[in-house]
Formats: sequence, structure tokens, C-alpha cells
Amino acid sequence: MRRWARRLAFGLVALLVLAGCGGSGGAGGSRGGSTKPSELTDHTDTTYSGLGLTPAQPRPQFTLTDTAGRPYRFGKATAGKPTLLYFGYTHCPDVCPTTLADIAQALQAAPPAIRQATQVVFVTTDVKRDTPAVLRAYLKQFDPGLPNPFVGLTGSQTQIDAAQVAAHVTLAEDEGQTHSAQVLLYGSDDYAHVAFLQSTDESAQMTHDLALVAQ
Amino acid sequence: MHAVSRPPVSVLAAAVVLVAGLIGVVRGAQPPSGAASGTSGSVGGSVGSTSTMAPGMEGMSPDMAIVVTGAYVRQPANRINAAVYCTIYNTGGTPDTLQSVASGAGAQTSVHTESAGGGMQAGSAGGLSVPAHGSVALTPGKGHVMIEKLYGPLLAGQTVNLELTFARAGVVLVTVPVIAVTAPAPTAKGTPQ
Repeated sequence: MRRWARRLAFGLVALLVLAGCGGSGGAGGSRGGSTKPSELTDHTDTTYSGLGLTPAQPRPQFTLTDTAGRPYRFGKATAGKPTLLYFGYTHCPDVCPTTLADIAQALQAAPPAIRQATQVVFVTTDVKRDTPAVLRAYLKQFDPGLPNPFVGLTGSQTQIDAAQVAAHVTLAEDEGQTHSAQVLLYGSDDYAHVAFLQSTDESAQMTHDLALVAQ
Repeated sequence: MHAVSRPPVSVLAAAVVLVAGLIGVVRGAQPPSGAASGTSGSVGGSVGSTSTMAPGMEGMSPDMAIVVTGAYVRQPANRINAAVYCTIYNTGGTPDTLQSVASGAGAQTSVHTESAGGGMQAGSAGGLSVPAHGSVALTPGKGHVMIEKLYGPLLAGQTVNLELTFARAGVVLVTVPVIAVTAPAPTAKGTPQ
């Protein structure tokens, strides 16, 4: 219901914007906005705590290899699930472990239904050193107590590059050591409306926004 | 003044209380409960891996100009390297420079700060400058003290000894608590308890 109202809000905003562009539809737009204002403002929080993405980014399709050595089709495997997607590498001393810890804290703080529904996917940017076994040993330190083990993915450099392009993140450089710090959150609607960057508030932002995009 | 970020009020308050206490201005003053009350070079904030620990007073230079607070290191999930975070305050009226770092936890220790390009780079040639009456916060993504060639596993609840050498203030010894792999940073805000 909250989500429904939010969509209505977006629709109204879009209507207003379109009306503005047309330059002549102001009356219709403002009338539309004035009939429902209390319902929208009283019962909805349309703001994301993380970085809002405009336009929203569709859940990407790419296939990599999981830590069991099996092909993992990201788009298909995570369709319809709230999904946190992050690119990093296990030798990373600072941002990667801090970010994964933030994700773990965010899920622990989320309502059980959301925790149960959400999938975390970590894609290595260091294909030389991050073998499936290394990835598994690394990720299993972050997901204890969570219902869904974090998925770790690797592949050829070309495949990793393609995945980053598909997810619209900046391509990693220096053997994967300089990489995007962005965590993308795809919602149940298969779009990322919000992303997160490292901050002292990151885990609280994630917990807040997971509730907005999980259905 | 290019202070990096404003320290939390509690840290400032604790710093003021401790500094004032040491120079005899405030006698018998105690830091607020929850703030660890170490003195120069001794154990401070090494209460264990609990997440509610307030940033402690971990280290101070002999002349008390440099105060290092809020230090912590996350238990490394890769068993290869570890990053220490802290805030360095220069309470004196003269700029100072962090020239070198050493640790009892690994054979190689260096200061890494964010480069102009957004990546991390090992220490700049002139060292890390700390402005007069200013501070430098080493936080994830902004900078850290990197410990490599670890002598052994670092586990939550342990502490790491760190020696920071400043050009003017001399040596500051810091006892850094190791927090759990997924623990909130002691300095994080709004973390679920």
C-alpha cells in the first residue's frame, strides 16, 4: 500500500513535469496534485536514505561463475528479489570489508521477511587472486546468521567488465584494486532506485531503503 | 584550515576533559561513562569487541599536542592485511606531520590516503600533515593505516599496538581494539544496537 501510494506520487510528479514541459497543461497538473495531497504526504515517505537513481536502472543480465563453480545468471537468479550488488576484491583492506559489514548489519536490523527475501551478490574485480574458494572463505565471514548466504561471483576479465557495464558502474582499474564503491539495491520491481556509498551511516540507510523497495 | 571533518561532540568533550584534567584545570574530572579513559600510551578502549564502545582516548604525544582517538581495526576477513581507522587531533598551534607508522601486528605498516583520482595510495612523500588546531580523520574510503604481512591472525577482542611518529610532537603510542568482522564501526552513527 505504501508502495502503491509511492507509485501514485511518482505518477503525479511525472504528470506535473510533463505538464511543465508542455507549457500549457498547468491547470490539469495542479488539479491532479491538489486532490490527493493529504493522502500522499500523510502516509508515505518517498525519499530514499541512499543516493536516488534517476532514472532507475533495470536489473542487469549477466552470467558469471559462483563459488561452487556453477554458472550464475544474475538477472534470472535474483529476479523479483531485493538484491544488493557490489563489486570489490578480497585483498581490499578498507572499503570492501567495511561495506560488507554494513550490508550484514543492515540485514540483521531489517524485518525478518525482508532479511529472508534479500540476496547479496559480491562480484570480484580481481579475477587473478579471487578464485571461487577464496571468495567463499571470505564471504562466509560476513553472512553468519543470515538466511541467504552471500553469493560470490567471478569469471574472466571480459565477463567481469561486461557485468560492470551492464550494472552501470565505473569499470575497475589496477587489477581490480580501484573499483566503484557503489552498492546497488535492486527492488522487487527489478529496478535499482537507489545506491549506497561508504559512509558512517551506510547500514542505516540500507535498512531504511530495503523496506521501501521490498515487496 | 582544512580540517577534514568535525569530530563528534562526545569526542571533543572527552578530549577537552582529559586534556584539561591532565594539565590540572579540571581535577577529578571523569570522562562520560562509556568513553574509555586511557592515558598516554596505555590501554584505552580495549574493552573488547562490543559495538557500543564509545571512541576512546587511545593515545597522546608527550607534549599533549597530538591526540589520537576513536581508533579501531576490523578483524580482517582476508587474513592478509588490516586497516586501522582513527582521528588525529592537533590541539597545538603549530602544524605537525605524521612521518611514519609502525605496528606490532605486521611487518609492514603505512599510511594510505585517498588520491585525487579516488583510489587509495600509500603515504605521500612529505607525510600526512595535521593542521594546527585541526584534525585528520582516517575513515573507510578516506584513509587508513594499512598493516601488511601480518604476523598472525587478528581476532576481535584483541588489541594492536600502533606507533605513530610525528615530526614535532614525537611518538604517539596507540592501543587499537580489534572489532568483529561485521561489527559496526565504534564511530558509526545510527547503527542498530
